[in-house]
Amino acid sequence: MNLNDANVGETYIVEDIETDDEELKAFLFSLGCYSGEPVTVISHLKGGCTVSIKDGRYNIDNGIASAVLIK
Amino acid sequence: MRIAFAGNPNSGKTTMYNALTGENERVGNWAGVTIGKKESPIKKEFYDFVEEIIAVDLPGAYSMSPFTPEEGITSGYVRDENPDAIINIVDATNLSRSLFFTTQLLELGIPVVVALNKSDINEKQNTEIDTEALSKKLNCPIIKTVSTSSDKTGLKEAVNAAVELNGNGQKAPYLQADIDLHDKKAVEAEDRKRFDFVNKIVKEVETRKVLTKERNSQDKVDSVLTNKVAGILIFAAVMWAVFWISQSKVGPLIADWLVGWIETFQGWVSGLLENSSPLLQAILADGIVGGVGAVVGFLPLVMVMYFLIALLEDCGYMARVSVVMDPIFKRVGLSGKSIIPIIIGTGCGIPGIMASRTIRDERERRATAMLTTFIPCGAKIPVIALFAGAFFSGASWVNALMYFVGILLIFLGALLIKGITGYKYRKSFFIMELPSYKLPSLKRACFSMLERAKAYIIKAATIILVCNCVVQLMQTFNWKFQVVGEDAADTSILASIASPFAVLLVPLGFGAWQLAAAAITGFIAKENVVGTLAVVYSITRFIDTDELALTGGANEVAVTMGLTTVTALAYLMFNLFTPPCFAAIGAMNSEMKSAKWLWGAIGLQLGTGYTVAFLVYQFGTLFTEGHLGNAFIPGLIAVLIMAAIVVVISRRSRQKFDVEYSLHNKGTGASV
Repeated sequence: MNLNDANVGETYIVEDIETDDEELKAFLFSLGCYSGEPVTVISHLKGGCTVSIKDGRYNIDNGIASAVLIK
Repeated sequence: MRIAFAGNPNSGKTTMYNALTGENERVGNWAGVTIGKKESPIKKEFYDFVEEIIAVDLPGAYSMSPFTPEEGITSGYVRDENPDAIINIVDATNLSRSLFFTTQLLELGIPVVVALNKSDINEKQNTEIDTEALSKKLNCPIIKTVSTSSDKTGLKEAVNAAVELNGNGQKAPYLQADIDLHDKKAVEAEDRKRFDFVNKIVKEVETRKVLTKERNSQDKVDSVLTNKVAGILIFAAVMWAVFWISQSKVGPLIADWLVGWIETFQGWVSGLLENSSPLLQAILADGIVGGVGAVVGFLPLVMVMYFLIALLEDCGYMARVSVVMDPIFKRVGLSGKSIIPIIIGTGCGIPGIMASRTIRDERERRATAMLTTFIPCGAKIPVIALFAGAFFSGASWVNALMYFVGILLIFLGALLIKGITGYKYRKSFFIMELPSYKLPSLKRACFSMLERAKAYIIKAATIILVCNCVVQLMQTFNWKFQVVGEDAADTSILASIASPFAVLLVPLGFGAWQLAAAAITGFIAKENVVGTLAVVYSITRFIDTDELALTGGANEVAVTMGLTTVTALAYLMFNLFTPPCFAAIGAMNSEMKSAKWLWGAIGLQLGTGYTVAFLVYQFGTLFTEGHLGNAFIPGLIAVLIMAAIVVVISRRSRQKFDVEYSLHNKGTGASV
């Protein structure tokens, strides 16, 4: 499953970032979003969702959300 | 000595830089406000040494490997320019992310001082950071700072700590293993180790009472502000309120007082010139004082608007607007990031265009730079206010309407660009940090407002003054340098230059040479439209001193210009949506870095201004008078020709893409 399927408020562990875009992957990494790290969806919105990664809040669109595989 | 300010986006680097240097660089509560390097000496009161210290403010970065173009400036500077020390500004509320970049900076061998900024927010949330333990683990001084506080907590200590370390090296607490940097796997493995190192430190030095992942009251506000329906309505209401307050309430109140002074001054000048030649009187009293005065009279409206926009930028709302607009902008090939240049462009198009630099995708970045100036900027406010007052009885909705028409044109323009640049719909990603809301600083907003006022007055006293004089002279003389009589105004230099252009504007409903002249001077600075109109029609009382309404003799102005409500609206929109002033075109040029795109932008803007004015005039006349306006057919032909050009260009560019694509295939085929 990916972040689009995540329940709000539940903490998941990132399994993999599935994208060909190496820069995006590195960017998500620098925010602390990489395999083995926890991530929590705060809310789902039209076109994306708000997530909590480390001690920050980010809004990401569906494209990125679907690239973040979680378990 | 030079001290570089580096840290994550929105950690407060520029706020600290401003506090230390007394500069007034743009700050805002979202990631990516600073887009270039800034340098200034630190005020003496913040250190105890003799030598001058230069602070270097850099754009925010999350790591040494850049993601967006402006992040590259930061890693490039600290790596190659050898600053004597680095003050690493760390957002104390997000230590676990920030220290990743910190440990990279500590490896450069340049002495680092960590400023734990926003320490006041941590105190409120009962988050404690053991600075002594952290300092030992990182081998560098850690100073708690609050740049926004009135006593500048910790700033002097941070600067002094950096000065003391000058000349020392820096012992890195964590050293990356010697790996092949082109090997992605090895790099990632190393970065993981680095984050593990950071996580371990954070666990030891930080005690949190409130976990970030828990839903808090700010998230509740967010769920309303970023809601797909409510969010857009709120955004519309907020922008409408900005215009209503600045254009109809507070702005005119101050403007009224100011115009009183200007009129007194004008009377005084006329009095002084009583015995001199009528020509000199006309040039000095009407041309210079009147024309410039007409422009300056609108200054309060612009100031109040700047004040309100500064409050918006400071509170954290901008990031939410870009979230709510993202799905809509995506449909036309842009993203939510494009909304920030647009809102900044409401103040002035130039910083707006420059703000497009934070957009990662090149096509998206150029498209945003191209379209940003459809939003009426501060310089267009006098033009709007003048027409709103003269033809729409000062209605505040005119400005809000122009704003939303501007947004609509941005959508349509983006669609067009998407169509022309064609086929390749590159997937664009949107990610935006949602900063904590904060109470906007009134002091900051006042600074921003005064800074703008200064720039506006300087512009009025230089460019606009010169333009008004030139216009006045060109209108006074004919080509033989004889003074033209009142009945022969059409023989003046100005009339003969502007007339050919005026012919082109007949299908738009305003074929008078005076109006054409005003529109042309508008390319130098948009305020000139007001100044030139004031000069060519000898009207100066644009703001009534008795009724607090814009333009006292509204009807008088309307009659003098010979415009109906419909033609006035067409003329206003023509001026708003044609290319911006030359300075903004220059900014577009430097952001786009492509002559093709620049000319495309100018063509698009000319075409848009012409077409919008044509449609407003022709259909407006049809609705109000039951028949089409003048010269419908020639106008229609002009618009159709422009449409044809767009079609041809987009066909060509698509074909070129196809050719490129097939060549590419052939190329690879040949090499195999």
